[in-house]
Amino acid sequence: MSTLRLQVKVLVDGDCRAPLYLYNGYVSFFGEVDPVNGLHRATGEGISGKAFAFKGGRGSTVGSYVIYALKYYGKQPACLLVEEVEPIIVTGCVMADIPLFQVEKGFLSKIGSKRGLLVHERGSNYVEIEYE
Amino acid sequence: MFLTREQERMLNGDYGWAVAKAMAIIVKTGEVLGASRLVEISHAHVSGVSYTNILDPGLDFVRRLFLSGGKARVYTTINPGCVDYSGLSSLIDGSFNEKQAVIDESLIRMGFKPVFTCIPYFHRPPSQGEFLAWGESSAVAVANSYYGASSNREGGPLALAAALTGYTYYAGLHIPENRVARVVVRVDPSASRNPGALGLWIGENIREIPLLKGFNPPLWDLKIMLAASAASGSHAFIAVEKITPRGFYKVDPLEKVEVEWRDLEKYIGLEPSGGSVLGYLGCPHLHPWEFHLVYEYVKRRGRLPGRNRLLLTIPIEVYERYRDKVLYLRSLGVDVAAGTCPVVSRLTRRFDHLVTNSGKAVFYLSKQLKINYYLTETRRVLEIVYA
Repeated sequence: MSTLRLQVKVLVDGDCRAPLYLYNGYVSFFGEVDPVNGLHRATGEGISGKAFAFKGGRGSTVGSYVIYALKYYGKQPACLLVEEVEPIIVTGCVMADIPLFQVEKGFLSKIGSKRGLLVHERGSNYVEIEYE
Repeated sequence: MFLTREQERMLNGDYGWAVAKAMAIIVKTGEVLGASRLVEISHAHVSGVSYTNILDPGLDFVRRLFLSGGKARVYTTINPGCVDYSGLSSLIDGSFNEKQAVIDESLIRMGFKPVFTCIPYFHRPPSQGEFLAWGESSAVAVANSYYGASSNREGGPLALAAALTGYTYYAGLHIPENRVARVVVRVDPSASRNPGALGLWIGENIREIPLLKGFNPPLWDLKIMLAASAASGSHAFIAVEKITPRGFYKVDPLEKVEVEWRDLEKYIGLEPSGGSVLGYLGCPHLHPWEFHLVYEYVKRRGRLPGRNRLLLTIPIEVYERYRDKVLYLRSLGVDVAAGTCPVVSRLTRRFDHLVTNSGKAVFYLSKQLKINYYLTETRRVLEIVYA
């Protein structure tokens, strides 16, 4: 097992210990995420309970409500990681109290398709990725 | 973050739970985005009011704000709901009427103007230099790019919070130093004729604030382009030479690119040959000027032929002003819906093909309806449904 430690900017703090799900693209939570079933429609992957990392937000301003709805239906991701910060996602995470971290540009290409477990402890300014 | 004494009292609950909750959303979002203070706004536009978009969680949130005494502190307009407010459309599904009515009642009794449109600038065109808190990504881009009034792409709940407090956070596009165009995009005349496809291309290919040269459309085509770029990307502001007020932005180009027709071809889909066709105009909502152009065309051509349908979506105000024309269009088989659109509602029936001038409609509806689409200019949409 190997561990990778990365500095992040903590935007909404909270503990996170969850399998990493990476999507090397932008996400419009409205239209591209199904809040009732917790699915990312572009790939069909489940995001509930995952550490969901993607480039950043795009699309509809209704996205904040979709993030809130994920929480309401108990399908929320354990935390979100983005390369680019955007108001719609921030407001959604603030309302739903879902931890949100900004990672450095190039994070997604660097991690590639490796599967791992992402760990963040409240109060720290880094995340650790544990690989099998 | 610096808060005035009044703002602090709002946050601490002296003005009730609704104001405190609203203030908390603004302050926390602002802190994350690096704001050092709040700013007074002149107009809030609230998106995320359609039941089929926000579902029960959103309904509960809006209802709770209303029941705990939330009131608009500034001029506030609202986005389309999920039902046709003229009651005449047979294509927009009315089955969520009761849930939508709960949301609408809450918003109206909080003092929001029930305009139910995504073109709030039709009701109140902002002045240059005003601070706005608008949801509805297409309207935000029009406010910045066409009127030179600043708004960030506020999430629906934040725009609602701004309406209840009269403030938003001072960050992003409110700060003049952030309104700097970094990529100069020369638009070839071949690419200007399909503003929906041009917008989808910009959204997917340009991340920085672009400055467009060689693209000088009327407001209704500009809104089509901006809506598409705000859907496939996250553009809140696109500087357009000869349109965006000078002084609103600076140019510090790092890169120059050119866009021409062959770059856009992958966004336009396929022209239908056989099968049922839904022609759709009005995403964003038709401006009265566009409504009249379509009306004149349909009047000349007469009844829609065969199985094809044409759907127009308009602001409620346009329906009220031109009710006789709407009824005449309906008598010719054209479906006109007021205060809603297919992106925020459900359709009553399925079609094989969607033909539209809206890149935004293609972006969302091709995902929601899993439908073949053809993205083209307004006139061609009409020609195809009349073919």
